[in-house]
Amino acid sequence: MSPILGKLTWSAIPFEEPIPLITSIVVIVALAAVAIWITKIKAWPYLWHEYITSTDHKRIGIMYIVLGLAMLVRGFADAIMMRAHQFLAIGPHQGYLNPEHYDQIFSAHGTIMIFFVAMPLVIGFMNFVVPLQLGVRDVAFPTMNNVSFWLSASGALLVNLSLFLGEFARTGWLAFPPLSEKAFSPGVGVDYYLVALQISGVGTVLTGVNFVTTILKIRAPGMSYLRMPVFCWTALASNLLIIAAFPVLTATLAMLMLDRYLGFHFFTNDGGGNSMLYMNLIWVWGHPEVYILVLPAFGIYSEVVSTFSGKPLFGYRSMVFATLAICILSFTVWLHHFFTMGAGADVNAFFGIASMLIGIPTGVKIYNWLFTMYGGRVRFNVPMYYTIGFMLTFVLGGLTGVLLAIPPVDFIVHNSLFLVAHFHNVIIPGVVFAIMAGYTYWFPKAFGFTLDERLGKAVFWCWFIGFNLAFMPSYLLGFWGGTRRMQHISDPSWRPWLGIELVGAFVIGFGVVLMVVQLVYSIRTRDQRRDLTGDPWDGRTLEWLTLSPPPHYNFAVLPDVHGEEAYWHRKQEAIERDALIAEPDYQPIEMPLNTPVGVICAFFASICGFAVIWYIWWLAIVGLIGAFAVFVWYAWRDEHEHIIPVEEVIANARERRRVRMENLHQLSQST
Amino acid sequence: MTEHDPEQLNVAPGAPHDSLFSETIAYVIGLALALLLTGLSFWVASTSALWGPGVAVGLVVLAIAQMGVHLVFFLHITSGPDNANNVLALAFGVLIVFLVMVGTIWIMAHLAANMGPMAEMMNLQTQH
Amino acid sequence: MSNSEAAAIGLTHRGSEDTGLGQRGPQSKSIVVPYGFWLFVLSDMVLFSALFATYASLVHATDGGPVTSQLFDRTTVAIETLALLISSFICGLAMITAKRKNLLWTQIWLLLTGLTGFIFLLIELTEFVGMIRIGAGPQRSAFLSSFFTLVGCHGAHVTAGLMWIGTMMAQIWAKGFREDILRRLLCLSVFWHALDIIWVAIFTIVYLIGTLP
Repeated sequence: MSPILGKLTWSAIPFEEPIPLITSIVVIVALAAVAIWITKIKAWPYLWHEYITSTDHKRIGIMYIVLGLAMLVRGFADAIMMRAHQFLAIGPHQGYLNPEHYDQIFSAHGTIMIFFVAMPLVIGFMNFVVPLQLGVRDVAFPTMNNVSFWLSASGALLVNLSLFLGEFARTGWLAFPPLSEKAFSPGVGVDYYLVALQISGVGTVLTGVNFVTTILKIRAPGMSYLRMPVFCWTALASNLLIIAAFPVLTATLAMLMLDRYLGFHFFTNDGGGNSMLYMNLIWVWGHPEVYILVLPAFGIYSEVVSTFSGKPLFGYRSMVFATLAICILSFTVWLHHFFTMGAGADVNAFFGIASMLIGIPTGVKIYNWLFTMYGGRVRFNVPMYYTIGFMLTFVLGGLTGVLLAIPPVDFIVHNSLFLVAHFHNVIIPGVVFAIMAGYTYWFPKAFGFTLDERLGKAVFWCWFIGFNLAFMPSYLLGFWGGTRRMQHISDPSWRPWLGIELVGAFVIGFGVVLMVVQLVYSIRTRDQRRDLTGDPWDGRTLEWLTLSPPPHYNFAVLPDVHGEEAYWHRKQEAIERDALIAEPDYQPIEMPLNTPVGVICAFFASICGFAVIWYIWWLAIVGLIGAFAVFVWYAWRDEHEHIIPVEEVIANARERRRVRMENLHQLSQST
Repeated sequence: MTEHDPEQLNVAPGAPHDSLFSETIAYVIGLALALLLTGLSFWVASTSALWGPGVAVGLVVLAIAQMGVHLVFFLHITSGPDNANNVLALAFGVLIVFLVMVGTIWIMAHLAANMGPMAEMMNLQTQH
Repeated sequence: MSNSEAAAIGLTHRGSEDTGLGQRGPQSKSIVVPYGFWLFVLSDMVLFSALFATYASLVHATDGGPVTSQLFDRTTVAIETLALLISSFICGLAMITAKRKNLLWTQIWLLLTGLTGFIFLLIELTEFVGMIRIGAGPQRSAFLSSFFTLVGCHGAHVTAGLMWIGTMMAQIWAKGFREDILRRLLCLSVFWHALDIIWVAIFTIVYLIGTLP
């Protein structure tokens, strides 16, 4: 250990392990190639001004989604490696991954998928859509929004750095002690995990504050609470949960860090530590976390179902009530993750019943979606495929959840492959399909052209078929005694099932490849599918009022809202009268300035984080001072906003009105 | 985004909104009450005049009262319609705090009763 | 155009009859910023609740080491409590003078807020150092780890608050009572009062209940 480089030595680079070594080299070369290409086409200034320093919620949303999709590839690579290894490591065969390596892979898979795929994607969609649906110009704190994104990116960077320098945690995605304590995990792996999550956790809490404030305080005139789109309600509930739950994660991971770095005894075996306390606290966070992910997903489905059924959402108020009920109830069920830890029958019974209760509002939502479709004219576009696929498969996953909520049943299948099947069965159809639906649904709003439908349907079928092949057998394997996270399978009769699952993984993989193909192809042929009107799907909510992509400030004049489905009524009236509303009184618009604070702060956070992981104390202090200095420098600025001149506003608005007027009859597909 | 709230239907949390005298008096009263409650707490904790198990309960009640004094007199959280969002947020926060603390204490107490001292258990487990 | 015409085509800000709450349109920054900060403070309260829950779970896990009654001195705690409470009060006075844009008195009250807060911190640090010296540091037992973390986290927040007070004093001196600076002062005072609320919980639970016979 040296004072200048801490624990960092040449042996941190995985020269002895071909897989991480080759992957790292490939990734570094690929990143360098991208950087060189960007330099060649002189796109850095564009990227810097239009995206990196942007305070525009739409741009920040796009960056989150890009981050999430990029990390999906990494997380999925881990998944394929695991499946392939498990298929090969049956009976006398040993597979190709030793336990130390395999453990890092499943830990990285879970950590990346939850924290750096699902969270950024869901937050990205909330970022892009919520201000547009609320009929306003931006979120409450646009600069803080930018900082939040870059802190998440910093966390993602650190986790991926572990592939190249050092190792990752081997303790699963939640790093349970005592295994995650210094005594049993002396390397840097757990530290990478802890530091990355603490940094991105700060960003996430700030996002929570930002969105609750926005939804409660910044909406178009006339948009009372019960006139907000359901997606905004689910975003509100999700962000309330973020504010409520993430501080517990921060505290718990901080305590583990204190144990590891300063020799405290929160969760150690000696000194009076109690590792069960960690389990309790981490799941106090962990359960609301999955609702943070799934509630906005349900919101996306609500939007998609009502749009593509051509009907208002059935049971709006019951949807709102169900959403808020899930929000509150999600804080009363966490013990169902450790029924077997020994709290006893009384405690288990309470949490078991609460866990079953939470299925009820979810059921209400499913019925509402079905009743929305019933009596409507359903259009089977790609987002609707995902929605129907979700309804068919998620219900099964939810039912297995109710099964698991029964403590005696859970005692048998806790931490088995049955559990693994259950949670993938709710996350993939629940969250991933919603993201795919939302991606297709809002892509034209963001970029001005739709994605290719046929390829989109092919991607769907790959995900749907692949998911079922990859996870349904695990229910059986769980009943037959299969434990999760096994590096070696001793029962050869499972081979065919594991084979099916491997095929499923490859089918999903093919789907991921097709997604890339779809994107590239759609960009190449975008002129054939231009979204000229801004409303390609005959939408019902306010984001479809703007052209695609919307101007920086979203709306020339904030729309007046007179009922639920603000945009739909306005559109129908315009079609009926064959005229748009009279031109409003245009004013110059104040918008927040761009800021480099986010990316610079994240830079210093990454430096500090890296230094803490490798015990390079002087560098950690430098990073900390740097981050604080950026903060103070930002606080000292005098100009916060720039003004968009009224001529520009008028020009854009008149262009929008002209296009709308021309296409008035095409806008509604039901007339 | 920078439009004024003309009908004063919302008040920022913590924002004072009265004359100089009444604002100052609010803080003075708050200070006096807080000092009183603090003094009471210290006295209750050291006196033998109260029934033993009731002392802890009494201290908790006094603490909650003092938190209320802080919220009303220093943070200006009132029950008026203009404060609704602030109160709702506070209520949500209090609910979560309650669930986290009571839930954890209840669970850990049961675990302690059923699962015994961790150190001993680990010793048993590490001796094959 | 007349009001009724405007109303007919939806250009007025009067929403229609049903679903009343929240129709006024976007709120001003002087409402929005403190509300967001209030939410952040509440999230901080949740963080402390996790630390309190940990403390409650580990308070008896002393590993044969020192216990509460051996370590905590109520007189010291009483003085700390007074210092912080008075600090909170003075902070309120600073808000009153700031609203009236009185530079001199605002700076004086802010300085005194910082000083009383610093006295609190000094007493706490002395207590910590004293405990470490006699072998009752955070590495000794789970109880001590949780004590130092809970009370230390509060102290860290106080430290951050002191740095913030210093920054605000500098900003007021350099830029005067601009809108955004007043908003920040309001947020600072919310933060400072919230810290005192947490201290009420700490002295009650840790120091008083913790040392009951």
